[in-house]
Amino acid sequence: MLGLWKTWKALEAKGIMGINRRNADYVLKYNKRHLYPLVDDKILTKERAIEAGINVPEMYGVISTEKEIDKLSEIIGNRTDFVVKPAQGAGGDGILVVADRFEDRYRTVSGKIISHEDIEHQISSILTGLYSLGGHRDRALIEYRVIPDQIFKSISYEGVPDIRIIVLKGYPVMAMLRLPTRQSGGKANLHQGAIGVGVDLATGLTLNGTWLNNKITKHPDTTNAVDGVQLPNWDGFMSLAANCYELCGLGYIGVDMVLDQEKGPLILELNARPGLNIQIANDTGLTLRAHAVEAHIAKLAKDDIQETPIERVRFAQGLFGHKFAAEI
Amino acid sequence: MRSLTLHLKILITILVSLGVLITAYQIFILGIPLTSDETDDLWNIDAKIEFQASSKEPVKLQMFVPPLNQDYVSLNESFISNNYGVSVNRADGNRKVTWSARRASGKQTIYYRLVLTKRYSGEQAKAKGPIFRDSLPVEGPEKIAADALLAPIRQHSADVETFISETIKRVNNTNDDNAKLLLSGDASTANKAKAVELLLSIAHVPMERVHTVRLLAETQQSPELWLRSFNGDKWLYFNPETGEQGLPADRLVWWIGDEDLIKLEGGKQVQVSFALNNSEMNAIRLAKLTDESTDADFLSYSLYGLPLQTQNNFQIMIMIPIGVLLILILRNLGGLQTLGTFTPVLIALAFRETQLGFGIVLFTLITTLGLSLRSYLEHLKLQMLPRLSVVLTFVVVLIAVISLFSHKLGLERGLSVALFPMVILTMTIERLSITWEERGAAHAFKVGLGTLIAASLAHLLMSVPELVYFMFTFPAVLLIFVGFMLAMGRYRGYRLTELFRFKAFLKD
Repeated sequence: MLGLWKTWKALEAKGIMGINRRNADYVLKYNKRHLYPLVDDKILTKERAIEAGINVPEMYGVISTEKEIDKLSEIIGNRTDFVVKPAQGAGGDGILVVADRFEDRYRTVSGKIISHEDIEHQISSILTGLYSLGGHRDRALIEYRVIPDQIFKSISYEGVPDIRIIVLKGYPVMAMLRLPTRQSGGKANLHQGAIGVGVDLATGLTLNGTWLNNKITKHPDTTNAVDGVQLPNWDGFMSLAANCYELCGLGYIGVDMVLDQEKGPLILELNARPGLNIQIANDTGLTLRAHAVEAHIAKLAKDDIQETPIERVRFAQGLFGHKFAAEI
Repeated sequence: MRSLTLHLKILITILVSLGVLITAYQIFILGIPLTSDETDDLWNIDAKIEFQASSKEPVKLQMFVPPLNQDYVSLNESFISNNYGVSVNRADGNRKVTWSARRASGKQTIYYRLVLTKRYSGEQAKAKGPIFRDSLPVEGPEKIAADALLAPIRQHSADVETFISETIKRVNNTNDDNAKLLLSGDASTANKAKAVELLLSIAHVPMERVHTVRLLAETQQSPELWLRSFNGDKWLYFNPETGEQGLPADRLVWWIGDEDLIKLEGGKQVQVSFALNNSEMNAIRLAKLTDESTDADFLSYSLYGLPLQTQNNFQIMIMIPIGVLLILILRNLGGLQTLGTFTPVLIALAFRETQLGFGIVLFTLITTLGLSLRSYLEHLKLQMLPRLSVVLTFVVVLIAVISLFSHKLGLERGLSVALFPMVILTMTIERLSITWEERGAAHAFKVGLGTLIAASLAHLLMSVPELVYFMFTFPAVLLIFVGFMLAMGRYRGYRLTELFRFKAFLKD
């Protein structure tokens, strides 16, 4: 009992955020319920992002009725690789990644050969709501296939690694690189077994990682060290994330982004209830950082100042950059 | 926003204090018992009246019966007699019953029966009484003796109360010649009372005779005489033998005044004997009974005022918030993962029908079989609604088969399954299989186990009989619960499991 109390006190001292605090102080306080559809539906998110001039994987087309499935060939055109995904899917289910075409067949990233009818059937399943959480009717999205930057080759196992940045009222507060593992089956979700690696907000250098609630320093599949990797175009990620506040209006979000070989940082999706394991990856609590941002906003509000995304990134980098992190 | 907002604090304070106040009012003012096995004494008093009727005259028998305007509530009163007319009337704070018959002969026996309890009386009426009286005429040696007695009494007393007790003590002093003279050799209580009255009247202190019956089972007794006097504020009771003040709690006032207990015309050799016995009765049932016979209708605004069938339903229903509260604590404080939010409570309700052990076995069995069916259906790529319908039908069939088998095997318990809510089971299966696919088998197992644990605990808690009684009798406690739930709504501390989840932070 006393041990538990000590643990409690120690966690509190470190500013570790628990689920109750996240829900009460951040999700419920800053995220208006009526804005949720915007982040739950990937098509809506994408449309908003395009309007706002934020980089997203190019959308080739949307199929929302059985009749429109006929237009699939038209949408694909001559492209050899593309992705089919449900607009409201969860946990990466129902996503079909086509890497190549030969003759009349398609080959997925995992090397499976499928026919055009197979893709049509997949889309039909998506429409009936097979992959959406509540089982509602859904729409299928056909978009650009992201080819991850070579930088991740050594510390990643299959799949596409992505970068999550937690953004509070437009201020990035913490970042993490999510690396798929053999166990996660190429998916970048931490609770499915992916690795989370903390990222220094100021420089984009990776820190140590977390895997299944433990701290790690090496990728379990490739055994390469996960820390000290410089993520390219880091300021691009930061400003992309900061811009998402204006995009969706939600005050506390997790922004999931990828680094494409050619197009650079792209936004994949937004999450209105980002997980808490990012704290283990960064070995830092979210609460103290969030309090610092809230204090800063309160101060600005008194002087009636509104900061631009670039200013917000500067502020966050100055305060939470790893070389300064010790003093907050 | 950092702590509870003022608004919420006020709301919680209001709810909690309201709940506490109402419950306290019920317990301390209305005296509703805290547990259902609390019992109250129930007194059964029989007065048996025997006399010889003279065959020539009509018979008229008058007897005092308790006025019942004090701390006692009568539950039942009966006048048992053959061929007698009965009427009851009130006069001067007394109640008198009159039995009458035109013709009666031989030995007559009449019973008066009173069942009463010492609870739940209404407000005490304001006491009222005389504080002055004229002196009784007294002459000769008695007057001298009385004056001789009164002088030291005046000296040794400060007020009405001490004056009376002093007087009684003096009269009872057998070595005092003045007292002996006043009693003139008759040392009966009635005579002492008479002497006391005389002395008091000279001092202009009014006094009344009170005839009481002692609530003591299985002893023969006749009414006991007490004296009382009004001091301007309340009645003071005195024992004429000892001068001791205050009526003991086990005395029931039968009648007040100088008259005899019984008055008979047209008969002789009248005899009254009292027989008392007491029984214990469930306090809340007693409360209901007294409620019917008094004006205090506090119970009619409680859940006990509902029809019996509805009461039974409410006894189950009022426990649901307790189950919900438990789930809230387990989830938000403990961090236990369950399927859905209130599914465990619904399963706990289902356990009522089957008993816990059998319920768990059944739940596990049906869920496991349902899950395997669900994973088979997964290959068929069905839409949600048809898929759920198939699972539901399968669950019904499964329950039917289990009932049939257990019946054939002679396990009557199996038949209770019929009421095991199949929709809950179907949804459990569906949710579990979604969890399985999304988060893996280990997580699904964890969640399923968490649900079972939460449901079992909720069931155990919801079927504690003392708690059921308490909640049903004091529903205002729910307000306190709501206050707690509101506070939990802004609880932002760690969950128990998070202390383990974030252990990695403490390893440096």
